[in-house]
Amino acid sequence: MTEQNSHTIYDKDGKPTRDRPWIFRTYAGHTNVWATNELYRDNLSKGQTGLSIAMDLATQCGYSSDHPIAKPEIGKVGVPINSLDDFHILFDNIPLEEMNTSMTINGTAMWLLSLYVALAEERGVDISQLKGTTQNDLIKEYLARGTYIFPPEDSMRLIVDMYEFCLHNIPSWNASNICSYHLQEAGATPVQELAFALVTAITILDAIKERDCFSEEEFERCVGRISFFVNAGMRFVEEVSKMRAFCEMWDEITQERYGVKNAKYRRFRYGVQVNSLGLTAEQPENNAWRILIETLGVTLSRKARCRALQLPAWNEALSLPRPWDQQWSLRIQQILAYETDLLEYPDLLEGSVVIESKVKQLKDQAYDEINRVLDLGGGVEAVKTGYMKSALVASQSERMGRLANGEQIVVGKNKWMEGLESPLVGDSDGGIFMVDAKAAQKTLDALAETKRTRDDERVKAALARLAEHAKNNTNLMEASIECAKARVTTGEWSETLRSVFGEYRPPTGVDGQSMSIDDDSNSLTSVRNKISDFIETHGYRPRIVVGKPGLDGHSNGAEMIAVAAKHAGFDVVYFGIRLSASDIVQSALEENVDLIGVSLLSGSHNEIMAQLFDELDKNGAKDSIPVILGGIIPEPDYEKLENMGVKRIFTPKDFDPMAVMDEIMDVINEQKSKQL
Amino acid sequence: MSKSQNSFESIMPPELKEMVTRAKRLEKWPLAQLISLFEVNTERAKQSRHSIITYLSEQPESDRKQGLVLGITGTPGAGKSSLIGELCLSMLKETPSLSVAVLAVDPSSQRSGGSLLGDRTRTNFPVDDNRLFFRSQASDLDLGGVGKKTYQVTRLLRYLFDITIIETVGIGQSEVEVEQLSDHTCLVLQPFAGDQVQFMKAGIMEVPNTFVINKCDEDSLAKKSYHLLKSSLKLVNVSIDHNADDAKQIFLTSALKQKGIDELASFLLKLHQDKSVRKSALDQELFYLRKWVFQEFGRFGLTHFDATLESELKLHKSYEEKEQYIIGVMRALIPSLTSAG
Repeated sequence: MTEQNSHTIYDKDGKPTRDRPWIFRTYAGHTNVWATNELYRDNLSKGQTGLSIAMDLATQCGYSSDHPIAKPEIGKVGVPINSLDDFHILFDNIPLEEMNTSMTINGTAMWLLSLYVALAEERGVDISQLKGTTQNDLIKEYLARGTYIFPPEDSMRLIVDMYEFCLHNIPSWNASNICSYHLQEAGATPVQELAFALVTAITILDAIKERDCFSEEEFERCVGRISFFVNAGMRFVEEVSKMRAFCEMWDEITQERYGVKNAKYRRFRYGVQVNSLGLTAEQPENNAWRILIETLGVTLSRKARCRALQLPAWNEALSLPRPWDQQWSLRIQQILAYETDLLEYPDLLEGSVVIESKVKQLKDQAYDEINRVLDLGGGVEAVKTGYMKSALVASQSERMGRLANGEQIVVGKNKWMEGLESPLVGDSDGGIFMVDAKAAQKTLDALAETKRTRDDERVKAALARLAEHAKNNTNLMEASIECAKARVTTGEWSETLRSVFGEYRPPTGVDGQSMSIDDDSNSLTSVRNKISDFIETHGYRPRIVVGKPGLDGHSNGAEMIAVAAKHAGFDVVYFGIRLSASDIVQSALEENVDLIGVSLLSGSHNEIMAQLFDELDKNGAKDSIPVILGGIIPEPDYEKLENMGVKRIFTPKDFDPMAVMDEIMDVINEQKSKQL
Repeated sequence: MSKSQNSFESIMPPELKEMVTRAKRLEKWPLAQLISLFEVNTERAKQSRHSIITYLSEQPESDRKQGLVLGITGTPGAGKSSLIGELCLSMLKETPSLSVAVLAVDPSSQRSGGSLLGDRTRTNFPVDDNRLFFRSQASDLDLGGVGKKTYQVTRLLRYLFDITIIETVGIGQSEVEVEQLSDHTCLVLQPFAGDQVQFMKAGIMEVPNTFVINKCDEDSLAKKSYHLLKSSLKLVNVSIDHNADDAKQIFLTSALKQKGIDELASFLLKLHQDKSVRKSALDQELFYLRKWVFQEFGRFGLTHFDATLESELKLHKSYEEKEQYIIGVMRALIPSLTSAG
């Protein structure tokens, strides 16, 4: 054997080797099960090694496609799944036993896992062979993503049910996947990301311990199944340090708090989607480089390298990505993993004084925050009191303030804004993806067909058993798998559990928040002057209502607008997410507001705005209350929306919240002058 | 005496009358616009308020509501909004003909003057049910929490709804104010431990008519809180259970687990039936006028208000007329005064 050196990786026989790359994934799913199946098979043939399934919002929130609230959303941000029949088509010609399948599903995670198990059983696949992940992190849903359904305690119970079932029946399945990803998107600092994700893990493990359903050896294995889903932003040195801190802290927590002896089960296993929040709608081609740099944060350090990686597309700030955009992102990973020598070396950062010091600082601060949350009563309590949510909204407001004040530079957005027109957005489709409107009908027809051909008695019995088990605290997995086989629909499964557990609305976190916008900023001065003139003239403070109609729960935008509006001096009626168009119109009428502000990111703006204007019209208020829209709105839709009656459209390009407020004041004054 | 007392026109212009007629049918938008008239600070709005209240108060008794105004206050986080949401639904279930308005008051930012009004989030009211109406109000830098604007709106809502619920964050001072404009006040508390009782002894316990311990999701903590509250009320000499009529009741509720809601709802419905549980409109007018006089003219104004004017004031019908009268008196006393109000 030749002498070994420190810059080479050796295998167990002492031969030089290189690491296997991480799993390449593309978060994908759209239109309907037929189109998505085709996409998956195509992606797999291009060298993708795992599936990451995106479900549409109705599926995520527990509604079948034929529910009125579901209709605008069918196939928009993912594939609609109504019953086991859909799963048969979705996985047609895809061998389940060879797949590592990740499902981004939370409120209905148990249902989708039950469908997957039932599919395997109907195909005759041994379910113990199944590998994959159900995201199933409800705490971050309450904090950031919004597709929760049930109250926190009941959600925790469903998660623990799944851990119990999986460990005994599908040992390679990750029953949940703790996501700091969405926390960063919601504005979390690295310390908050570390702390809140680890608190979530602690909350789940404490609940599992409390149920006491595992032997000591089983519990160790169960700890080993806890996996994480992390975000990586532009500050890639800090991100590398954050990942190293994550690994060390998880090792320490599992050892000290839970006494896990086997080091293998203490490893911090994580997948990544890099940051979309920092991607810009301005000069969107620059995002390709941003994505590459963000990728470095989670791949550079061998000790803390991700297990699986999915990258956003360069045009995500404009619209949903097309297949070509996703392919381009996949290529970034392949080039990094196969063309460069990254995977040939041991950990590059070991022994770096700078990194070690940075890691220590992050860890110290994160432990402080973890202890604070645990002192407040733990993860569930910190959801219910709104503590974590308020902390995130505060961080996000600070970030918005830094962008507006120019303290944080974003190329093409608040600096070097002039540039040549990008040829990438000049395609005939405008560089954006459009869901075929007719495809939804196919989904609805299939759902009707399932309902027509199934055995109604079996459905009734399966749902009755589900309700009974929900009430008497029996593990719900078996009843759910039977529901799946009986062709119960997504809506029926969820409705049954809703009737037992109730529905939950977490605190919005916006109370008491303010923005760190310089008091002498031009836009702030301008809007405040306009507001005092308004009060002088009309004898009251201008009132606006801000809300998110539809099922999209990414509340950042709406929260920031609400906080900014209060900071400017408006009276703001904010009542959160997942509202129907009629909810918003009713509150606008009852509150007699001067303007309605709506935020939409899911691509369903045309349908939902049409519903909203219908509602206004029905109440005789269509020309009396102006409506503005914010979100990811593709330019080709502007004209249509303006014809409907939308007065202004704001996109991620409008990063100065006070400039937005100033324009809102103009819209209100235009309306007032019309009425006088 | 000044002539300004006669400056209000009691006849409503047709469009306002139309709005009032529709508001009486509880149509949401006309009603909301009418409420705004009671919040707005303009001369025109003042004129409208006078004529609307005059009109409503002169309706034949069969067509005139004399609604109950209920103050629900409590510390932040006690779960007031969720509880109110559940109470409203429960009351409507028991009495389907009932109509209820909720007026939720939130603090304004001291820095920008703006506010975030988020209480709607927690009430799960159905859409298009005219029996329920929800309105948010900013405290508008009025430190009392429930100010003149809230009082103004309750003047209107009394005539339109069977029950009006005013929801406020209570931290001591504002309970007194809520007591003024409500016929009955409930203080909502969270389950608590022994040491918290100490802090509650400081005066505010005397104000509420009824206590509600909410978030009693767990029985043991609920019972403990009940007994602690009961003994601390005895300590501060507040009567409980001695006499069924004037006893201060304690209710244990959980909006989440649907416990105790129906009991509290029935209790409130009984209050609604009992017309003796209504504050005198005149007393309220005098209270708010006095407050306004103090704000505008300080101790000097108050001295005159208290010493001489009360009997005179009664001769002037509406709040607006009384206010106008006082302005006249003050102008006579302080010739340099050109405008006020």
